[in-house]
Amino acid sequence: MTHYAMVIDLNTCVGCNACMAACAMENQTPVWNEGKWRTYVHDKEIGLGSDVQRRFFPRLCNHCDNPPCMTVCPTGATQKKDNGIVFVDQELCMGCGACAMACPYHARVPVTRRDMREGREFYGSDYRRTSPSMDKCSFCDHLVEQGRKPACVETCVGSARMFGDLDDPDDPVAQMVASGAARALMPHIGTRPNVYYIDDIRWRS
Amino acid sequence: MDVNMTYATQEMWTWWLAIYLYFGGLGAATLAVTFLTDMYLKPNRYLVIWGAGAGVVLLALGSLMLFGHLLDKTAVLTILNPMALFNQSSAWIAWGTQFIIWMMVWGVLYALPYVRETKFPHKVPVIRDLIDKPFVIGTAKLVQSFHRGVGWLAVINGVGVAVYTGLLLQSFPAVALWHNPAVPLLFTVSAFSTAMAFLLVLMYTLLHDQADEHVRVLYERIDLVLIAAELVILFSLYQYLKNGSESGVRSMELLWNDYGWLIGFIGFGLIVPFLLELKGVMRGWASRVPILTASVLVLAGGYLLRHYFMYAGVYAYPW
Repeated sequence: MTHYAMVIDLNTCVGCNACMAACAMENQTPVWNEGKWRTYVHDKEIGLGSDVQRRFFPRLCNHCDNPPCMTVCPTGATQKKDNGIVFVDQELCMGCGACAMACPYHARVPVTRRDMREGREFYGSDYRRTSPSMDKCSFCDHLVEQGRKPACVETCVGSARMFGDLDDPDDPVAQMVASGAARALMPHIGTRPNVYYIDDIRWRS
Repeated sequence: MDVNMTYATQEMWTWWLAIYLYFGGLGAATLAVTFLTDMYLKPNRYLVIWGAGAGVVLLALGSLMLFGHLLDKTAVLTILNPMALFNQSSAWIAWGTQFIIWMMVWGVLYALPYVRETKFPHKVPVIRDLIDKPFVIGTAKLVQSFHRGVGWLAVINGVGVAVYTGLLLQSFPAVALWHNPAVPLLFTVSAFSTAMAFLLVLMYTLLHDQADEHVRVLYERIDLVLIAAELVILFSLYQYLKNGSESGVRSMELLWNDYGWLIGFIGFGLIVPFLLELKGVMRGWASRVPILTASVLVLAGGYLLRHYFMYAGVYAYPW
């Protein structure tokens, strides 16, 4: 069985934000509101005085194996596929926001009717959304079904984002996770996330 | 993983959700207490009508708060369907919605025979036309035959609503303040305490009947115990937060450094009413003013608890 996961190498992320742009265009997200991107690259300065380094930290839905956003969803709009991808059925979602309250990764954002009006203006006649909902990353499941990779992975110039199958022992993503080099965020919460990070801090002198 | 944590509160569910939780708990507990009083302590037509009325009106207002903030209001039909419980049994909102609906249905049915016996509804045009319809008269007679059963169905759903308000917050694992077993307990105790306070206000003002003195005294005593329980739960919660996760510590700092929480809620919403009611239970009061004051303070405190809880939940983001 396929079990999709993403590994993000913080050592090679250069903070170009191409992943954000690719995601936004592929999924027609409300780019006019910084808080409503499906993926976001945080830019943080670490250090003191002249010894300061920038760290770029991409975040997105962690497609948890035990997703709290799904268990609290009263309409069943948040669902999980057999391949591990957590997605939202926009027609079923009533937008109560419980998923956003439950998500430890700040990965659920509201797309309102106002956003849809702006979306029609911004994206023109290609705009696909038909109802407001609590939005989230879908690992670009429509691309994955065609044998492609999520838009953010395809566009990443530093190959910081890698996408693969955890159940395939030959997959480099599975090997990085199995080796312990790539680790999950906040595993103590019990969400069993499927986005892993390769640490950059400990390699710095 | 070495991460630089960011701590943040949320802006998704704010004061309006606090009102939803407050009205939900208060309305449901009021209905449950009045029905139990009527069934097992002293039959009281007016208390039941007020209890059912308060339950339905407060729950409707509270639900409107949530409904008004939904992104897609037509999709709410999904959870109005009782099958939602089977499709999404892990979601407390699905349970809460069903508890609210059925509490209202059984609550109105339980009160119906009393409403028909009361003069006032027969003077109100729309209600008069409604309660004099043959179908409603037949329903009232049928309910009368199974009055206690209907009452228990309303009470069970009412208690369900009161407990649900806490379980809803407890189901969010990222926030230490919410995700702990004290929260459903605290919200349930607070719901019943505010219900007692609401009924005491009612019975010392609009429903002032000397024959109900023992009911009022019982409500005062129960409220005293409930406030004491609330203080114990809050003390335990404080102990849990102060040496737990950073999310918990920050929530504790937000709450216990805020005069609205410390003096407004704990001081005037719990301790002052506790002392006023303690004096009333031990030595009595010559006037009804102290108990009325205590009750109003408990009612205000009940809202403050939920208001501050919503704003003080701290998320720990690893970026």
